Amino acid sequence: MKTFEEKWTAWIDGELTGAELVEFEASLPDNAAAEAEKRDAQKLGTFLKEHLECHAMGNEEFFHHQLRERITADAGGTRRESSGSGRVWWPIGRLVWVGATALAIFSVCTFFVMREQPAADQSQYLSQILNARVDPAVSPNATISMFESKEDKVTVLWVDGLQSLPSEYASK
Amino acid sequence: MHTEATPAQADVPELDLVKRCQAGDTEAFDQLVTRYRTRVFGMIYNMVHSEQDAWDLAQDSFLKAWKSIGRFRGQSSFYTWIYRIVTNVTIDWLRKKQVKGGGAEFDDAVQLKEIDPAARTVPKADALPHQRMERQEIRARIDAAIQQLSPEHRAVILMKETEDMQYHEIAEALGCSIGTVMSRLFYARKKLQNLLRDLYENV
Repeated sequence: MKTFEEKWTAWIDGELTGAELVEFEASLPDNAAAEAEKRDAQKLGTFLKEHLECHAMGNEEFFHHQLRERITADAGGTRRESSGSGRVWWPIGRLVWVGATALAIFSVCTFFVMREQPAADQSQYLSQILNARVDPAVSPNATISMFESKEDKVTVLWVDGLQSLPSEYASK
Repeated sequence: MHTEATPAQADVPELDLVKRCQAGDTEAFDQLVTRYRTRVFGMIYNMVHSEQDAWDLAQDSFLKAWKSIGRFRGQSSFYTWIYRIVTNVTIDWLRKKQVKGGGAEFDDAVQLKEIDPAARTVPKADALPHQRMERQEIRARIDAAIQQLSPEHRAVILMKETEDMQYHEIAEALGCSIGTVMSRLFYARKKLQNLLRDLYENV
């Protein structure tokens, strides 16, 4: 059901036809006044059309240029945004895998480090207090180790690979 | 319809251009812009009455059209579709401007503008100075009257009276019913008749 405003507009624009037109015109209290109003509205339409013709755009080439620049900038921004978000926001699955792998590597390393700690040259009775190399000019592969046992008040000097004892070290 | 496309460009069916745009062809979009820039700019200008603002809003509208052209399904004509974007962008802008301006209802301050010598509003033959001045005064009165309409009423009256659009096209462009378009047209005409009667009765 059309409202009065809708019917009136359609009547002004000549869009009301047939039974609807007859019915509407019959419902008008003052036909002459309505016709005058219709002419007035049509005159307004003609007047607006005449004076509101399309306002020309200056610098049309620049308009295109500016628009192309904005489209390019927008496309670049979208690409950066999507690749940027890929770097920062890892999916949960990938985070879980990375976490599990890191944990496994840590466990393996810890296992090997712990296994190597009771070294073969360490004794549960002796504490090593020195481990040094002899001057390579004198004896290239010689090492000196010193152990002590506090309980037994014993100190052991272990010299390994010494080819000759320098004369100045000889006990006098 | 005002078009600036060369004859060769004008021969290309609009839907083909749209499909090329959807495939990312900016050259095709350039052709669509060329076809509609004058109408779009003119429509916006008549709503905002400022060349700079009309330029910016036309830019925003076309950029928005480019971004969303993938969603254009061809159920309506392209120009109805682009008009929908244009009116949305312009009405939003007018509403924001109204809010920023402290809620003043579309003030009637009139900017008396020099008419661009290249504008289509200028008669073909050079007008005499007093005729030009008279046209400028009339234009200023019309602009002031239109500024007193709400953005939706402005859009409806301009689409109907200057663009010769049908009710259903205006309804599609504004995203409302045909009944709403007719109703808005009724009130917009009444208001403009009251504001401009002395002008169009005497001119």
